[in-house]
Amino acid sequence: MSKKKYCEKFSVPEHLQVPLGACIPAPVKEQRAMITGNWRTERPVIDHEKCNLCLNCFIFCPDSSWHLDEEEERMVWNADFCKGCLLCVAECDVDCLSVENELNFKGGVVRLDKPY
Amino acid sequence: MAKEMFLAGCSAAAYGAALARVEVISSFPIRPYTGIMMELSKLVANGELDAEFVHGEGEHAQVAIAYGAAAAGARAYTGSSGVGVTYAMECYSPASGGRLPCQMAIADRALDPPGDFGSEHTDVMSCRDQGWIMGWAETPQEILDNTIIYYRIGEDPRVLLPQFSCQDGYFVSHIPGKVVMPEQSQVDEFLPPYKHPHALDPTKPISHGPQIYPDQGPAINLQRAQAFLDTPAVIEEVIDDYNRIFGRDYSPFLEEYRTDDADFVFFIQGGHARTARYAVNHLREKGVKAGMVKLRFVRPFPTEAVAETLSKFKAVGCVENSTSYGGAMKGGNLIHEVRSALYDVDNPPAVTSFMAGLGGEVVSLDEFYSMAKVLAEAAKTGKVDQYVYWVNFDHGV
Repeated sequence: MSKKKYCEKFSVPEHLQVPLGACIPAPVKEQRAMITGNWRTERPVIDHEKCNLCLNCFIFCPDSSWHLDEEEERMVWNADFCKGCLLCVAECDVDCLSVENELNFKGGVVRLDKPY
Repeated sequence: MAKEMFLAGCSAAAYGAALARVEVISSFPIRPYTGIMMELSKLVANGELDAEFVHGEGEHAQVAIAYGAAAAGARAYTGSSGVGVTYAMECYSPASGGRLPCQMAIADRALDPPGDFGSEHTDVMSCRDQGWIMGWAETPQEILDNTIIYYRIGEDPRVLLPQFSCQDGYFVSHIPGKVVMPEQSQVDEFLPPYKHPHALDPTKPISHGPQIYPDQGPAINLQRAQAFLDTPAVIEEVIDDYNRIFGRDYSPFLEEYRTDDADFVFFIQGGHARTARYAVNHLREKGVKAGMVKLRFVRPFPTEAVAETLSKFKAVGCVENSTSYGGAMKGGNLIHEVRSALYDVDNPPAVTSFMAGLGGEVVSLDEFYSMAKVLAEAAKTGKVDQYVYWVNFDHGV
């Protein structure tokens, strides 16, 4: 058997390359490299007429996917990071949140060719 | 003239770490490795070593502290024995996958049940596939040298991997021997300060060990595998450098002892190699053409060197000090690696294995003679009757 060379180099196509040790820039606000919205099968849908801006959804959301738009005076939902745990629905005081299946939305994550 | 000291393996490892100017040390007591931390704590308390000495609340925490320190840009040192090594198991892969080159000193101890203080390689051999560089020392001198050498290998930008620097518990860790101490200035020349390309820095925030997607899994594993493919060349370079600067005579992967014209060899790692040398000497006096090949690194396993070296002999006996229950060769671990390395060789030697010294039992000269009988027969017939022999038992030797 011929003596093999030590350094065999495997090439990794660019779209599959990862940073050394998977180190990534720390997120300032949202980590775009780790979208978690695609884990969702159902989403909370808000009825702005009923919402009294109590902020329970903001307080209980484990992924900070609700925030208050102070100018518009309404709650804003973040589709990219909401995992669909629906805690906000359970905690809403005025029942302004309803549960809808992702299949009901044109851009619902279960309909995407590549979910991320 | 270089300073000489009379040190047991534990103290020698501690002096090696001190000479490497470790910056963070994390400890938790378990015998027999505890002696290393006792010595280091004295050096820190006396002001001879400027390092943070941190007590973990267990071995799991110990290793987490060490690789956390490595992520922060500090040269980190920890260690353990036996069940402590396996208790920390979860932390090994994050350290190697995160490419954080801390060092863990191991003084081997048997795993339970029911509690045995003796030396046995099974503790850390069970962790051999976690992406850490791993090798054994035979003497206090070798463990001191390995401690310094491993940092240089692990911190090389082509490698960036953590290291297990192993010694047999008691047989090496607690039996003193002569140690030639390197000069601090020489060590500083050999081992530059540790720099990590992604050390934590408040002005440039980064995340270590984030969640990845499944499709990034193969790529991150290939990255680690590639580092291991690149490591042997670095090891050769580093050992050359060490030999030159410190006047030593280490071979990078395999040390051959009286192998000229040998019919068969003991293939062995760690402290029992000392007994094997005497066994070889006595066998040679009786005209038996025995030799010994000592393995210095089990990870990365030196496939090419093993194939080239062992194919010179008619029979090879792997002296196994660790268990692989239900494994392909029904006994130990080394024989799997050796037989695989020899698979593509023309006219390979007959290879068998001997379970010896488990639980910390001494591997006596008589036991080596018994192994030699089996190997001499195998060298004659070119065949082995069993994959594994348990020395001193029925159907053993």
